[in-house]
Amino acid sequence: MRPAIVSLRALALAATGAALLAALPFLLTQGLLNAAIQMLIAALFASAYNLLCGQAGMLSFGHAAYFGVGAFGTVHAMNAVGGAGLLPTPLLPLAGAACGLVFGAIAGWFATQRSGTYFAMITLAIAELVHSLAPHLKGLFGGEAGVSTMRMPAWGLDFGSTLQVYYLTLAWVLVSVGLLYLYTRTPLGRLTFGLRENSHRLRFLGYNVHGLGMLVFALSAMFAGIAGSLQVVSNESANYVVFDPALSAAVVLNTYIGGVKVFLGPALGAALMTFFGYAVSDLTQSWLLYQGILFVLVMMFMPSGLAGLGGTTARLRQRFDLARIVPLVALSVGAALLLSLGGTFAIEMLQRVFSQDYRAMARLQPAGAWPPLQFLGRAWLPAAFATWAVPAALLASGAWLAHLARQRLRALADAESASAAGANAHPSTRLAAHPGGTA
Amino acid sequence: MHTLATFPSAMACTLGLLCFGASAAPVKIGVLETLSGPQASSGQAYRTAVRFAVDQINAAGGWNGEPVQLLEYDNQGGPAGAADKLKAAAADGVQLIVQGASSAIGGQITEDVRKHNLRNPGKEIIYINVGAEALELTGEKCNFHHFRFSGDAQIRTKALVSAMKQANALGTRVYAINQNYSWGQDMERAISDNAAAGGYQVVEKTLHDVNKVQDFAPYVAKISASKADSVLTGNWSNDLLLLMKASKSAGLKVRFGTVFLDQPGNLANAGDLAVGHFVAHTFNAEAGGAEGERFVNEYKAKTGHAPAFIEPQTVFGMAMVADALKRTRPEGGVLNVNALARAIETAKIKTPMGEMSMRAADHQVQMPIVVSTVSKDARYKADDTDMGFKPVKRFSAEEASTPAQSSCAMKRPA
Amino acid sequence: MDQLIVSLMNGIVYGLLLFMVSAGLTLIFGMMGVLNFAHASFYMLGAYFAYSLQGVIGFWPAVIASPLLVGVIGVVVERFFLRRVHHHGHAHELLLTFGLSFIIAESIKLFFGNFPVDYRIPAALDVPAFSLGGAQYPAYRLVMGGIAIAMFVAIYLLLTRTRVGIVVRSAIYKPRMAEALGHNVPLVFMGVFGVGAALAGLAGAVAGAFYTTNPNMALELGVMVFVVVVVGGLGSLGGAMLASLLIGVITSLAVGIDRSLADLLALFGASDWARGVGGLLTLKVSSLSATIPFALMLLILLVRPGGLMGEKG
Repeated sequence: MRPAIVSLRALALAATGAALLAALPFLLTQGLLNAAIQMLIAALFASAYNLLCGQAGMLSFGHAAYFGVGAFGTVHAMNAVGGAGLLPTPLLPLAGAACGLVFGAIAGWFATQRSGTYFAMITLAIAELVHSLAPHLKGLFGGEAGVSTMRMPAWGLDFGSTLQVYYLTLAWVLVSVGLLYLYTRTPLGRLTFGLRENSHRLRFLGYNVHGLGMLVFALSAMFAGIAGSLQVVSNESANYVVFDPALSAAVVLNTYIGGVKVFLGPALGAALMTFFGYAVSDLTQSWLLYQGILFVLVMMFMPSGLAGLGGTTARLRQRFDLARIVPLVALSVGAALLLSLGGTFAIEMLQRVFSQDYRAMARLQPAGAWPPLQFLGRAWLPAAFATWAVPAALLASGAWLAHLARQRLRALADAESASAAGANAHPSTRLAAHPGGTA
Repeated sequence: MHTLATFPSAMACTLGLLCFGASAAPVKIGVLETLSGPQASSGQAYRTAVRFAVDQINAAGGWNGEPVQLLEYDNQGGPAGAADKLKAAAADGVQLIVQGASSAIGGQITEDVRKHNLRNPGKEIIYINVGAEALELTGEKCNFHHFRFSGDAQIRTKALVSAMKQANALGTRVYAINQNYSWGQDMERAISDNAAAGGYQVVEKTLHDVNKVQDFAPYVAKISASKADSVLTGNWSNDLLLLMKASKSAGLKVRFGTVFLDQPGNLANAGDLAVGHFVAHTFNAEAGGAEGERFVNEYKAKTGHAPAFIEPQTVFGMAMVADALKRTRPEGGVLNVNALARAIETAKIKTPMGEMSMRAADHQVQMPIVVSTVSKDARYKADDTDMGFKPVKRFSAEEASTPAQSSCAMKRPA
Repeated sequence: MDQLIVSLMNGIVYGLLLFMVSAGLTLIFGMMGVLNFAHASFYMLGAYFAYSLQGVIGFWPAVIASPLLVGVIGVVVERFFLRRVHHHGHAHELLLTFGLSFIIAESIKLFFGNFPVDYRIPAALDVPAFSLGGAQYPAYRLVMGGIAIAMFVAIYLLLTRTRVGIVVRSAIYKPRMAEALGHNVPLVFMGVFGVGAALAGLAGAVAGAFYTTNPNMALELGVMVFVVVVVGGLGSLGGAMLASLLIGVITSLAVGIDRSLADLLALFGASDWARGVGGLLTLKVSSLSATIPFALMLLILLVRPGGLMGEKG
């Protein structure tokens, strides 16, 4: 019997996820609902990007260009058609898809002629070219105030409230991600993996690798265009800052933080990082520093991303029983928590001590006494021992817990290899192949 | 930090409102600024000034017996982030949004506020613009719920040209160099418009990329080839600094007329080459006499530094809002935003620089402008250097005023 | 004519500055295959270190000490960060350096504030060198150009004439073989990364005084450095020099050209049609001077991806 196109488990997972997302508006406040819309859009963009990067193995540095092209295509469509006739408001992302597809095909034809670093550089050059030209082409890109528009009622709904925009965005994101998933189950999707694994061999098997690469690029750009147009539908404006290299870099980072090997990994990474930016930016001025630290830590200690973390834990569970795993996980989580608390405390304190205003105030004080710093609703004296002892203690205890966790992991691995050596009469089919642990 | 204290209390207040229904609701002011990223320096300055102003409002008793609440939002550096945070602010019940650091973001906010007010009658928001000086905000994008409390290209250029002409620093050949976006283009048009009044000829106009040019030597070469007597520019930050440094190293003897020379860090970085150049700005403590000195000392005591650059205009703008708040009666314990807007239209206050009032036709404030020159015998030194801004001429609000743009067709609520 | 000479000289000096920063980047790429996004941050660190040290030890000692500090940081980055992720692939290394560039920029903002800092040329050097066409040519520009050329000569001699240079070149060309022959290739990698970073730091220390020293320096220069490295050829020092000079001169000369494509089409009598179409056709070359390098980069990548002096194909 042939395996089903989509496994029952995947279907059940998808249905649960969709139901949960549909119920979100009743669980969240208005502000968080808007953040949820942005998270969905970022998740779609990252999934579209992963088609090119994770599945076809082509690392592109200028993907924001296709997002932006989709956005501007939609905003001009909205202004031209007014959300009526052939393109009512709910069908507007089709305009973004069309623009993304066309522009992606053209760019893809050029870019896929080379591979590896050169491919990445070509995509970067295309994106930067569009980014530098955009401010000059006022008619198309609207100058630095951008092009503004308004959602028009259609199909009996007025699309004035965040709730309706959320459901529209959710519907499009679910359909697009579903299509992307189904794509991976088709022969074409399998060929895409082939592009990543061994494009030389594909060529020898008779496939037109350049055409294939261009097709994948165009499809990825199409879905990126849909994401761009969803942002325009939500924000009702498009601005050329969307072509900024920072946005291209953000999607690459979100994808890798989520994990490229798992299908929903990039979506997860993008949603998390968008929420991080949204929530933390209002809490502290140094949120970009925390974001940078997060990137570096994930790249160094979780190279397969957050979704990969789930896989790692699953493999650990396969090898050892729950009783051994739970303390290990608890130690690791505790270590991570303490280290982040200590680090955050230290950075916030440093930021306050070195800020211009604080230094000016300190100079105004008589006899060189330093005024207290405000943090977490309390006043901390910079000269006091306690102010620096707290983060030092947190960091030290976090480091100690991390050390304990690593010791435990090594002990488990040693015990396992000892028992495997002692029992090599029993062929063990479920041992994973990493004796050194996976952290 | 302020936000850490106000965010949970803002949430508590919103929850409290839900529990207790229509009891007295405090006025919520939200400052939506670029507080991080490359342009954070200006956004943070606006935030400091707004905090000072709100503290003053609360020291005078707040509104309706309750202190005014200040919430802070970081627009993460762009119009998309600003749109998101505006929706968050609306969800938090904010009634006044204050912003000034970028005209691009200002354009986004004014449009979003207009659409929000259309879709949510009864829950309107007012956009208090304390620094976005693009002309279109009081022109084609003018909006009943937008009020601008700073100058614009036309106002600043008119004052600059008049003062420089009086000081015989203008000459007859003027070079206009500006940044290639709406602000720079507004300045370029203003410089051409004032040619007759200033008695000069614009020998050449140049627009260059914003914040991308490292090496201004080619532009300086063009200026020197044109034999201009003075250079008028609306450049800010790096673009202004690099332009001036490049002209000094090329030994170019021109007078610079600028509008943003008083940005913190400019004088320190430019050093002696800045002496003798002009700036048209909204506040000069030396020109304000005893009142000006009192304001500077108060501000310094609260924030640790003297009010500079955009901070005074922000404080004065918020003082006008405070004046309007005082004249707006609560309706059912809540603030009627449209009534407040009508009160702001007739607001009039006295500042150390002179009288400020609001023009109802396009919601552009009528404010005094001071033109100063960088000098070593200024009373107040800037940037910890030995130089400061010495006032050359102070223009009252009437003298500085420019006519309302014909492209503004303001739709008023009933 | 004088204007042309002045523009050319300015372009050459700007190009030499770009070379100082991109030399390290192209060496690092040639050696390790890593495109170091944090390279422009080393440039910024050099400027800030020099600014901090200037008050303590004077201008020239600060200009010498600051690259050494940045070099140490480069070594630390290679040893403790990059080496860990090396076996995960190029994408991870790239993203790691990208995250590092964030951290460096934000840390600088934390310690030094958001506004530009007062790092200036000492008064003794702030003098004109000679007069050309009615304008003066600042001596410091010549100093910057001189330092860049000296650097190029020094590195070239180091790579081609010394034992260390031979080991480095063989480690770039065939790292396994060099390792099999007993050379400490990881040490060589570390050294090259450190030297590359130090070169960028030197560029920052020297140029930061002339231009402004602010936390956005890395962003301003960052993308241009990539264009230079790609146009010149990834891994080629001579290519980096050629490409930097080319881009410096083009950017400088383009500012003086106030014509657009419509003017070119006027030669064929199509000027009115072009003006009617507007958009791209009426953009003046002078406004596009920052866009031209990207167009050049795209052209090179499509026609000759190895760069001007890199390997073919």
